[in-house]
Amino acid sequence: MPQTSRLFHIVRIAFAVIGAAVVLFLFLNHSEQLDTPLMDYFTADFLAQTGAQNSVAAIYLNYRVFDTLFEALMLMVSVMEVINVSWANKHAEQYKFEKDDFNRKNNSEIVIRMVGIIYPFVLLIGLYIIINGHVSPGGGFQGGAVLATALITRYLVYPNFDLDLHTLEKLEKFLFLSIVMTPVLYVFMQIQPADTTLSHQIYMVAMNSLIGLKVFSGLSIIFYRFVFYEGR
Amino acid sequence: MDFITGEIVGILLFFIGLYGLMTKKTIVKTIMSMSIMESGIFLFYITINYTDGSVPPIGQAQEAAFVDPVPSALMITAIVIGIGVTAIGLTMFMHYKQKHGITHWSRNRNQTGSEH
Repeated sequence: MPQTSRLFHIVRIAFAVIGAAVVLFLFLNHSEQLDTPLMDYFTADFLAQTGAQNSVAAIYLNYRVFDTLFEALMLMVSVMEVINVSWANKHAEQYKFEKDDFNRKNNSEIVIRMVGIIYPFVLLIGLYIIINGHVSPGGGFQGGAVLATALITRYLVYPNFDLDLHTLEKLEKFLFLSIVMTPVLYVFMQIQPADTTLSHQIYMVAMNSLIGLKVFSGLSIIFYRFVFYEGR
Repeated sequence: MDFITGEIVGILLFFIGLYGLMTKKTIVKTIMSMSIMESGIFLFYITINYTDGSVPPIGQAQEAAFVDPVPSALMITAIVIGIGVTAIGLTMFMHYKQKHGITHWSRNRNQTGSEH
């Protein structure tokens, strides 16, 4: 029995190595030079067409906004799964949180002091990345992740479960409705004023803020659920 | 060191993850292998179609060629979806472990340890 399992092990290693070698060989020797019509179209005149100076923001908020819609749906579905499928929902009596446990685990004075100093700057840079996402590198996804870091540092300082996750989940569902409705009304149905230079900017800032808040609430819910419910 | 580009490292990472998926019997290691495969795909896509001397696609200044913004815009959504998939996998693993006591892809319920 160990002989055959060792043979299978060697076969699997050989399969992975040969597969990597074949793909690398094909990639290095037969790389065909393709045209990039999408890139030419997207980078030709995106400032006049979408009002965004960042071409990536122009793509995921205007040209290919379907991607963003279904990405937001995917994140919301994963958050709903994390909340509703968890084993801890039906067996909550085994998941009592001990206060001593918290006090014993998180007693680093250095971390608490430093996080207290850093905390407002984390919020500030998160909001900056979100608001300036259409004129500089950044956007809703990155800024939302940075904002979620703020709540994670809050857990390091004050590990208590007084955060109302159901309110955050309702907020996320409402934000998802807004994220769906705004491009449908503005981009697809073209409900725009005659002069679109200002309204394009407002649309970009609004969509980046909505996406940032949605990613923030989604990542925070996932982190807090994992810390307090799945951690045993 | 000219051949170590992002594409090649991405392909190698993908196959390292595939090797983990093929050999490891721990469910957590399977989820980790899926994450490693995802990282390889992200790296491959982000560094694809890059030429030296190109500038980030911000503003309308045309003194140099722009970097291709399409893979970046695709991967920025794929990264968030990867986080969602990993969270779903870990939650389902915890549910499965608490309900059935299984931590391995095996018929033997008492199999423990991380050497598989």
